[in-house]
Parts: sequence; structure tokens; C-alpha cells
Amino acid sequence: MPSFKLDDREIPFEPGDTIIRAAQRAGVDIPHYCWHAGLSVAANCRMCLVEIMPPPGRPALALAVLAWDEAKGAYVDQKKPKLQPACQMQVTDGLDVRNQSSAHVERARSAVQELLLLNHPVDCPICDQAGECRLQDYWLEHQATAKRMHDEPVHKPKGVVFGPTIVYDAERCIVCTRCVRFCDEVAKDPVLALRERGNLNEITVAPGRQLDHPYTLMTEFVCPVGALTAIDFRFKARVWFLRSARTVCQGCATGCNAFLDYDPRDGKVHRHRPRENQAVNKYWMCDEGMLDYHRVETGRVLRAAVDREATTVGAALDRAAKALKGIAPERLAVVLSAQHSSEDNFALLTIARDLLGCTNFFIGGKPNGQGDQVLRHPDKNPNTRGVTWLAGSSSPRSMQDLSAAATMNEFTVVLALGSETRELADAGPLGGVKERIVVTTHEGPLSRLATVLLPAASWAECDGTYVNARGLSQESEQAIGPKGDSRPAWKLLAGLAVRLGRDLGWRKLADVRGAMGAEAPPPSLPGSNRPSAGASS
Amino acid sequence: MAKALVALLKQSFPSAVLETHSQHGDDTVVVDPGQWHELAAFLKSSPAADMSMLMDLTAVDFPDRDPRFEVVAHFYSLSKGHRLRMKARVGDPAGTHVHIPSICDLWASANWMEREAWDLFGVVFDGHPDLRRILLYPEFEGHPLRKDYDAHKIQPLVEYRDVPSIDKIAPFRSDEGMSFGRQTHDNVPSADAPDPEIFPDSAN
Amino acid sequence: MEPLDEELTQAEIELPADPMIVNMGPAHPAMHGTVRTVVELTGEVIVKADVQVGYLHRGFEKMCERGTWTQVYPYVDRCNYISPMLNNVGFSLACEKMLGIEVPERCQWYRMALGELARMSDHLTCDGAMAMELGAFTPFLWMIKAREMIWDIMEEESGARLTHSFGRVGGMAAPPTDGFKETARATVDQILKVLEEVERLLLGNRIFLDRLEGIGIVSPEDAISLGWTGPCLRASGVPYDIRKAHPYMRYGDVEFDVPVGSTGDCFDRFMVRIDEMKQCARIITQCLERMADSGPVNVDDPRVMLPPKEDVYNTIEGTIRHFKIVMEGLKIPAGEVYSYTEAGNGELGFYLVSDGSGTPYRVRIRPPCFLVTSGLERVITGQMVADVVPCFGSLNMIGGECDR
Repeated sequence: MPSFKLDDREIPFEPGDTIIRAAQRAGVDIPHYCWHAGLSVAANCRMCLVEIMPPPGRPALALAVLAWDEAKGAYVDQKKPKLQPACQMQVTDGLDVRNQSSAHVERARSAVQELLLLNHPVDCPICDQAGECRLQDYWLEHQATAKRMHDEPVHKPKGVVFGPTIVYDAERCIVCTRCVRFCDEVAKDPVLALRERGNLNEITVAPGRQLDHPYTLMTEFVCPVGALTAIDFRFKARVWFLRSARTVCQGCATGCNAFLDYDPRDGKVHRHRPRENQAVNKYWMCDEGMLDYHRVETGRVLRAAVDREATTVGAALDRAAKALKGIAPERLAVVLSAQHSSEDNFALLTIARDLLGCTNFFIGGKPNGQGDQVLRHPDKNPNTRGVTWLAGSSSPRSMQDLSAAATMNEFTVVLALGSETRELADAGPLGGVKERIVVTTHEGPLSRLATVLLPAASWAECDGTYVNARGLSQESEQAIGPKGDSRPAWKLLAGLAVRLGRDLGWRKLADVRGAMGAEAPPPSLPGSNRPSAGASS
Repeated sequence: MAKALVALLKQSFPSAVLETHSQHGDDTVVVDPGQWHELAAFLKSSPAADMSMLMDLTAVDFPDRDPRFEVVAHFYSLSKGHRLRMKARVGDPAGTHVHIPSICDLWASANWMEREAWDLFGVVFDGHPDLRRILLYPEFEGHPLRKDYDAHKIQPLVEYRDVPSIDKIAPFRSDEGMSFGRQTHDNVPSADAPDPEIFPDSAN
Repeated sequence: MEPLDEELTQAEIELPADPMIVNMGPAHPAMHGTVRTVVELTGEVIVKADVQVGYLHRGFEKMCERGTWTQVYPYVDRCNYISPMLNNVGFSLACEKMLGIEVPERCQWYRMALGELARMSDHLTCDGAMAMELGAFTPFLWMIKAREMIWDIMEEESGARLTHSFGRVGGMAAPPTDGFKETARATVDQILKVLEEVERLLLGNRIFLDRLEGIGIVSPEDAISLGWTGPCLRASGVPYDIRKAHPYMRYGDVEFDVPVGSTGDCFDRFMVRIDEMKQCARIITQCLERMADSGPVNVDDPRVMLPPKEDVYNTIEGTIRHFKIVMEGLKIPAGEVYSYTEAGNGELGFYLVSDGSGTPYRVRIRPPCFLVTSGLERVITGQMVADVVPCFGSLNMIGGECDR
């Protein structure tokens, strides 16, 4: 592999790499605003300037400048090396690049940083970006000087509403054009552009349009400063109070890797943001997924109920066990859920097959929705593939079949995980089944019919594994503690098994995972993708 | 300052000195815990070292490492005026088996400092004549300076002082005074916690 | 007169011959600070003693691991609360050593002057309390009055009498006030006068001398082995003073002597402190002479120092600088350091481990009086019960520092 020298460190690169990309792969972060690994190169912020040493025996590329000489008290002619943007400069074999070790580079960066802050408002105390803002980080690392300009700064529009999700503050904007390039290149909806020049330069929405494509929140995500803020997150939390859990988005079958940011002090979830995974979502997520975290709070089933009367989880489990004890296997219908993790579905399958001898399996989940070529998948369930694989030979049937069978009065008990019924518009016929036991995180058609309702913990409240549409099995981490009376569904089902007279010994998620792994390792899956911290770059 | 001493130690105990470094003028030897006592005795008796004082002895917890703890001793020679830091890495990641020889017989000052390290870190000093808790009371559960000891953990009431119907509550909320930069102190309840409501009769 | 209890037999009236266990403390009038000593007596002679500390343990070292480096100051204040300025300076020096910065000269003289004042307050308290516990109440009041004068200066300089939290990494929270030099000079003179009077009152007093001389003797070998430092070690005849042995700040540039005792008894420990206060006065005078009246006190380093408030409110650069230091804490490079200074009771060591973040990974405070107190058992074994009082007083056990 060819290599080049960065601050006297030998760094390998692949042909076609730019300096910044090769450095990043080697773990060296060259400061930058406008460059984003997932976008084209603009080279307009000039923060990533590096000095490239001339080949031996050749003169350096230099500019003639006038420099102030303190001793002489006059300007003198000087030569200064011409610096190159690391984001645009392609690496060649044996290139000698100076990053931190060059005084010229440090001076240039300090000057760039000073320029970017020249008209910047004193907004940190009210800015949502504060705490994760490049301007703050790089000021300390590369400038660290006080303000020299004491004139009134240039004022520009503040609080400009770009669309239903995004508000723009032109004064904070450093015009790096990341958002413009994102709309052009990734969302394929070139709705943002630049207007004016010089220090009046600002981002604007195309006349007659709003920023309203399905990926608008990504413009806020790529914004390195606080210019674009999400209406959803504005003034809600200060980021340094938040902690992040590595989760998998539940919005569709793509299974985007995400960070779920929550406040550990009150257990509230505040935002969802993408986590880099080149095999799945690269750097991005869609608006639907980013806003999907609201489901942790809304539409939840948090209390157990028997015949619509609220009760304790223990009592509801007792009642469910009573209904299931001694039931003829052909009179029992079990609904698996593409909304729940593989562990939850495995627990249900094990109990249904091994304890109850059930053969009638159905699969529930959300109905299909819109998809696109970027990230969004029409299947709005995170684990359809996982459930189908786990069920294997039991080949679950559709909810329509269940409805038809219920109309024929074939079943006495329905044991359902999740409360969604896919394309089945009218769940009414299921009401004809005598006992309807539903273990679910959210309200839905099934939970409304339930005679025994058990509250399950959502993906934010427990660990779980989800298999996306491409067959990648991904683990999602717990962020907050279970809400209300809810418990992980596998735990409720393990409790049910105890009440049915057989203790499967499952007390921790690891026990379920162990049993799941022992029965049949997933042959078709390309291995588990352990969550790894991804930089937002 | 004590470079010559580090070299001497390396020469005298080639197998025991695992690594050495010097930072901010402090010379450090990391040694094999099995030879902790031999090295300490050598430092005290060798005329070149003449470490008359054991200035400090403590421990540091690195929960991600194996061995998990560092026992750190600082020696000082009154006659030579030099100092040396000696460290040994001990303990399994679970922190249940953390042993190192006591050097109580060499310096009387080790007595209380080893008791303190036992008290706050759970490092067992083999051969210590009186290894009791020193800053905390005998009923205290856990070793508070371990990183996995929650700073807001509440200790059970001691039997003798138990008053029925009075709950012991923390005087502050758990996040009071929490630093913004520190990312590790979460108090999210685990979904794996024992659950008597779900599993009433069996052991959780 | 009638017998007290006619039921008592002769055997019961006799003193028990078995050893008797007596609890002294944790709240005993003669045990200032909260420490419990379980003594086993034969008659009035202590045959065995078990010193139990920890009653003031507040988990400082754990708390330090939760805040920023700057937030450690209030904790070190509350270690030795008689001379918190010395702790402030000690911790500052440890952090500055890791950062590789040195504070301006003016700050060094300022720190030394304040530190020596704090040392005087420490010794005044110790010797005053010692005298009081032996029945001499007047010197105690005089010395506490002298201490008040020092605390007035501290209040003027820092805004707080007791727990100043006045040190900062890279300087002090505020520059010296205009009247600092004048007040300090006047105070030092008055304190010297108080010392003179105290000496005249006590050193000719037969009872006072009899209760101190030859009591609680610690040999130099024992003191060294016990890890004693400071006045207690010097009273045993070992001239180890960090200010002389390893001068830090400007201690190498000032003239002072290190008072040393000869027998290592309670009286020597008392006198070493008295003499040391006189040396403190010498150092303070020199510091005040050499401290510039103007000039920077804090290092000009945006990594560690907060910007002026008008910058914070009016410029984005100032806001960012403030934000970075307050919200994330100043960052100390990863590594470890053992930094030691001469505090009121001896070597105050800080063993700091940093992981490079804004929060300390480990702050180990090596409290001098933890080890001094560990020697109490050896000092009082073989003495009479009444001797526990001067012995304990002469060790100057500060609960906050010992237990942390």
C-alpha cells in the first residue's frame, strides 16, 4: 500500500484518497468545517489547510507577502508557503504533509477561525449547538485569542423558518454549504442555495419552496455550527447533560444505526441521530426515523389490564396462564411481531411450540408505507426478516388468515406479541376469540381488543437484536429504564412460562440470547454488527 | 533525579521490573506484585536507595484493565533526597481477588495506608497484622473509590441504629453537582434487574 | 459520715485488678476533632490503645472524581480547614506541574505570603488549643485573637474567612488588594507580640512544663518509620522541611531557619511550632518586600484561565473561552504526578491521575496528619491517661484532613 508522511508519521492511503480522508482513516483528525465524508468537496472553509513540502531540491510553492517587522518598524518583503486544503488535495506516494507541525498552518487556521467568528453573535448561552459546536472546539484548539475587532458586527436574519422542521440563523452560519450539498447530492432535492456575497452571504430556500423533503433534519445534522436548528430539538435540552445509547432505528426495515440521546437525570429521550455504519445507513437517517423516538413517550401501553380493568402485571400473567393452561394446541393462535426484537419473538416461539404445542403462527406488524431509493424501506417494521427466520418451518401466516380463521371460530385463545395487524384494516373479527392475550409496547388494533394486556418495554428501554431487510442482525442498546409497569417482553413471557409450570431459567437477556444461539445459529446472516461509536464527521 | 536508582533496580531485579517511565520529574517503576515486598525491602536497605520513608501508598482503579488495580507507593530518602514511585498492577477485572504483599513490617506508615487502600479499594494486603476498615465503619458495603461504586449509592442502615418507619433518603438528588464532561455515571436501572413480580416463587 | 452504700462488701470496694477498657472520644472534651481512642488501662497507665479515625470521612476523593479540576478546590479547603490556603496552593502547584505552566512571579510571592499566614494560623490554633486543654485558657484566647487577625486578612483577600477556595489552576481567584501589604505587616508584628506574651505566660509555668516535658517522646527512627513529616518530625530532631529540602515557588530565595527539637516530646512539638511562627513572620516580611505592586497574577493561558467578564458578555471569543472552561472544565494532559508541599502539618502530597479530560481520574490527597495520627497509639502507650491530652494536642490532628 502506498503511503505518505503527515507530521513525520507514515500513513498509508488508497489511490484516489484525499489527505483528510487518509488521515481520518488513520485516526488523525484534520480540522474542517465544510468537508463531510459523505458529501462532495467544497474546500471553502479553509480550515483544513496544510503545508505540503516541495520534493527534495525543488523550491517551495510560495507567495510573496509583506510582513510587519517589529525591529525595523516597517513592512518587509517575505515569502510564505502556499497552503493547500487537505480535503481537496489528493495524496501521492511519498508526499510530505505538515499539519500541526507547521507554524504557517497554525497561523492560517487561527486566522480562518478569527474570520469565521468576526461577525458571530454572542449566542452560545442560547444556542442548541453549544457543547457540540465546531466553532467552540476549534477556537480553543486553533485560535485561543481574544477579539480584535470592536466594530458592530454585520447583522443578518435570525430565526428564519425554512420549513416544518428547520429554523435558520444566518448570523451563526459560516456558509460551509454542507446543507446545500446534502440536499443536492443525497436527498436529490436541490432546495437550498446561497445568496448575496461576502459577509452578507447566507443560505436561502428556493423561491416558492419549503425545506420539506424526507431528509430535512439531516441538514441540521451536517451543520457544523448552530445555524440550522431542528424545531423538534430547539431549546429542549443542553447537549452536555445528554447521554447516548447506540440503538437501531425502529422506523423501517432499513435498520439505520442511531444514537438515542437521553437525559439520565429524568429518563427522558430527547433526540435520535444517525450513527455511522457504511453497511447500512452510511451517515444518514430520514426525518421519520429521526422523529420516531417520540414513540418512546406516545401511544404506550404502560399498565397491565384484565378485561380492560387495570391490574398488576403479576395478576395479568396469572390470568393469562389460566387461560392457556390445558388448551388444545389447535385452538391456540400465536401472533409474532415484526415490531419486536428477535429475543422477544424467540421467547414467544419457544413457549408456544415447546410448552403449548402450538402450530398456528401469524405475523403482525405495521402496514407497508412509503419507501425511496435513499434509505426508507416500504416495510415499516424493524424485524420482519428476523421473525421470518426465527419462525422457520412454522411459517407464520398473514393477519388476514387469522381474521378469517377467527370468523370461523377456530380459536379459543390468541396470544399476540405487539398490537399491529399489518394490512388487516378491520381487526373486529378477532374480538370473537374468547381470550385475547396481548403483550405489547404500544397501543394498536390488538391492544384495544385485549382481554389480558401486558405492557412491554420499548426498544429504548431494553437491549434487543433486530434483523434488517438485508439480513443484517444488529444489536440495540438500552437507553432509559423501563417506563411504567413495563418489562421486556421476553421477561413477561418467561414469567408466563413459569406460571404454565415450566421455568425456562431466563432471568437476564443473556439467558435468552444463549438459548437462541444454542438452538440455531443464523446461517444466512452476514454476522452480527456490533455497535461501534461513529463520528458525525 | 532517581534515574540511577531505576537503573539499579532494573539491574538487581531484572525480572521484577516490568516497565519504567518518568513524567513531570517523577521516576516510576512498575513491578511484579509478587516481588513487591522484596523490592520494597531492597529500597529500604540498599545504601544506594536508602528509602527511609514510605511517603504515600494508595491505589487507582482502572476497571477496563486486567489487572484492574494499580497499587502506588511513593518512597522518599531523607539522606539522598530522592523519590521513587513504585507501582504494581493487581486484581482481576471483577475485583474479587486483589492481593499484594504487605510492607507493614518495613515501614510503620504502611499500616494505616494499607488499611485505607483496603477500605476504599478492596485491595488485600497479605501479611498485614490488622487489616480492618479505617475511614469507614465495619458494616459498610463495598469499596467506595472503585469506579463501579456509584457515588450516589445509599448504604443500608446499620442494624443497631435502625428506627422503624424512618427511611434513609439521600440528602441530594443523584445528579447534584454532576460534572458536565463526565460521561460514565449513569443511573439507568437495568432491564435485567431481579423482578419478584414476574418471577414470584423462584429465585431471581 | 455514713458509708455510701452499706450493701457493698469489702471486695467490691477494691479497685478492679483487671485491665479496664475506656473509650476516649469520638466526642470527648479533651479530644478536639472527632477521633475515638479505645484505651486499655492498668490503673492509670495505658497498656494498649486503638486509635479509630474516620468520623469525618466525607468521601472527598470520590467527589473529586465527579467534578472538574477547578471544583476540587472547595474539597481541599475542607481538608485542613485551619490552613486552607496551603492546601489551595498545594493543589494548584500539582495541577500546574501537570500542565507545565508556572505562574507569574507576583503570584508566587502572593501565594507564599498567604500560605505562611495560613501556617501561622495553623500553629496558633494548635498551640493555643494545647494550652487550653491543659487548663491555660488565657493563651488560647490570645492566640485565637491573633488567628482572627489573620482570618481578617484572608477575608479581605478572598472574601471568606475559613474556606477560601481562593486558589486557581494558573493563578489566584483575585489579585492582592491594595491594602494587603500594609495589613499583613501590621498583623505579623502584632502576632509576634502575642507570641512573646504567650511565651512569657507559659514557659515559666511549672504545671505547663511538667505536663509536656518528657511526655510522649518519639524517637527520630520511629517518627521516620511512621511517615511523620512537618513540625512533629522536626520536633524529633529530623530537619526535614520541604521548603528547604526541595524548594518550590520562591522558597529558595528567602531566608529562614528550620527549627528542630531535640527530645521529640510534647514540649518540643509545642516549641517547634512557636519558633516556626517566628520564621513564618520572617518569610512573610520578605515576600511582601519582593512582591511587585502591579503586574499579572494569573498566567495568560486560555486553556486554563477564565476570560474577563466584559469579554464573556460582549465577544464570542470570550463566551467560547468561558463556556469551554466552565462546561467542560480545564483539561489536564493525561498522566500522573506526585506533587508535595509543606503544609501546616507536614508533607501535603497530591497524587493526581488524569485521563486528559476535564474531570480528574483520581485525586489522592496524602494528608500529613493521617500518618501523624497513626503514631498516636505508639505515643500514648505506656503513658498515663491524663497524658493523652497533651500528646494528642501536640500532634495537631485535623479531622477533615485525616479522614477526608
